[in-house]
Amino acid sequence: MSDAASSPMLEIRQVTKRFGQLSAVKDVSLTINKGEIFALLGGSGCGKTTLLRMMSGFETPSEGAILIDGEDVSKVPPFQRPVNMMFQSYALFPHMTVEQNVAFGLKQDKLPKAQIADQVAAMLKLVHMTDFAKRKPNQLSGGQRQRVALARSLAKKPKVLLLDEPMGALDKKLRSQMQLELVDIIESVGVTCVMVTHDQEEAMTMANRVSVMHLGEIMQVGSPSEIYEFPNSRHTAEFIGSVNIFDATVQGVGSDASQLSCTDLNCVLSVEGGVNAVEGAQVGVAVRPEKIYMSRTQPEQGDNWLHGKVEDIAYLGGHSVYHVKLASGKTVMATTTNVDRHEQRLTWEDQVYLYWSASSSVVLYQ
Amino acid sequence: MSKLGARSVIGVPYVWLLLFFLVPFIIVFKISFSEMQYAIPPYTDLVGWADEVLTINLNLGNYYYLWDDSLYAKAYLSSVRIAFFATIGALIIGYPMAYAIARADASSRNALLMMVMLPSWTSFLIRIYAWVGILKNNGLINNALMSVGIIDQPIAMLNTEFAVYIGIVYAYLPFMILPIYTNLVKLDNSLLEASADLGCPPWKTFLTVTLPLSKAGIIAGSMLVFIPSVGEFVIPEMLGGAETLMIGKVLWQEFFNNRDWPVASAVAIVMLLLLLVPITFFHRYQSRELEA
Repeated sequence: MSDAASSPMLEIRQVTKRFGQLSAVKDVSLTINKGEIFALLGGSGCGKTTLLRMMSGFETPSEGAILIDGEDVSKVPPFQRPVNMMFQSYALFPHMTVEQNVAFGLKQDKLPKAQIADQVAAMLKLVHMTDFAKRKPNQLSGGQRQRVALARSLAKKPKVLLLDEPMGALDKKLRSQMQLELVDIIESVGVTCVMVTHDQEEAMTMANRVSVMHLGEIMQVGSPSEIYEFPNSRHTAEFIGSVNIFDATVQGVGSDASQLSCTDLNCVLSVEGGVNAVEGAQVGVAVRPEKIYMSRTQPEQGDNWLHGKVEDIAYLGGHSVYHVKLASGKTVMATTTNVDRHEQRLTWEDQVYLYWSASSSVVLYQ
Repeated sequence: MSKLGARSVIGVPYVWLLLFFLVPFIIVFKISFSEMQYAIPPYTDLVGWADEVLTINLNLGNYYYLWDDSLYAKAYLSSVRIAFFATIGALIIGYPMAYAIARADASSRNALLMMVMLPSWTSFLIRIYAWVGILKNNGLINNALMSVGIIDQPIAMLNTEFAVYIGIVYAYLPFMILPIYTNLVKLDNSLLEASADLGCPPWKTFLTVTLPLSKAGIIAGSMLVFIPSVGEFVIPEMLGGAETLMIGKVLWQEFFNNRDWPVASAVAIVMLLLLLVPITFFHRYQSRELEA
């Protein structure tokens, strides 16, 4: 599926959408390739839904163009676009059976009856809903409704499938199960898919590429691991997972490693590779909690360590998150996996040393 | 305690209906089996007691009379026909209005609804009387048309069936609009978007999604217009003239002109039975909707 070199299916060219004075989407450009599952990730009001609605045709861009398979569809009404959407509320027609819902889009194309029936049967089989064909939507569970909604939006073989908060209406347990099943179905059909979500876990589980949006702009686009391991801004680093960010001043820039000073640390803060800033510049240095080690004794390394007191412990079963308060007043998070049941763990009020390797940190310029 | 409270809440309207609907109905039903006489009250007793003999006289003659004299059948049919077409008229005018109000900005909806209901703050009688002034030969419309020179003879509108249609549609329009509006305003906009997304143009979406989903509102509104229209008296009396035959007028004439209470009661009972058909249909539909 990661056939990234293939031709683009959906192109967003410098699209801006204004509602009155407010710009919901600001000069966004994106290229989504054939067969890709692409996630627009962001908090509420970041413009991700507006962008999706422009792809489906419910909103028209104030500026810029949207191309589907090379064709400019910016001015094409929704009912003439080769895209189909699975709505957050599923929007199943309550007065129609499951079968009629799935057939609805095919009927608009005036296909022969037998062909419609075949396609409906194939779609219901794909989502394992064949036995429920004659039911009405209100006789289905949330998960079943989602399957029907998916079948309906895939029935017309759209060039692009749009998913609006696909798991928004499901409970947590069902959510993680459906995420993987949805990906299986989408990949088996091979359709290009754009999804909108505020849930980073969902985006990272389902998508090949994720774009993080904030205040109408795209902050970063990349694979889930790129976005997590190499965030390019404080916003992205903080939005995806949890992170410790140290405010530091650039001291020495080298090609293999660079040194920075930070008042929170008891020593120099060093990062791998060069830093794209002059000496004396203020930057942020991000370190993920799971990359920080804890010890009761002072670590041997000369850089990247600090000392503090355990203030809080969140025991999460598989792992624990320690909140360590520094002398400077800053709180740093570190996680440990709970491998040994009988291990004497660090506890509240313990004095502790935290340390990490220079390759674990990421310099953030904005 | 709470059970008692719940029962009394439900009980009060039932007692009300029992006292002021069922009891009068039974009285009217009883009178319909008696014979007219020139006395007070102007009908005979059903139950007699004389010389230790209990006599019950059930006079079916009134019903036979309704059957025999074609005037009544014609009046019933004409009432149902007028009410039916007036209901369709109210639906054709009311549905787009309800749709427009439901689709309007949330802030202006209440103002628009208020404008629909505002005329009801004036007396029904006065509003119908106002139509006399508008429709009569030297009324508003004819004078306006003649002064512009479109016509040189006034068009006879008052005292025609046309005037009755205007009166009924005008008077009962809010009863059509409100249930349809209530229904349409709840319509989930994402359903319309889903329809468009699946390739359905707007006019077809209206026919395949909006219209079927507002069926309950259409039926409720139509019943609310149809049922009172069948027995309408004021509108045909004031706007319809002598030619318009409606059962409400016949009923009035039997009671007050002929002072034949038994026949009038029989007319009322038959009208009620006729109306039971659409009411039962409505009720069945509603309970089926609730189940689904």
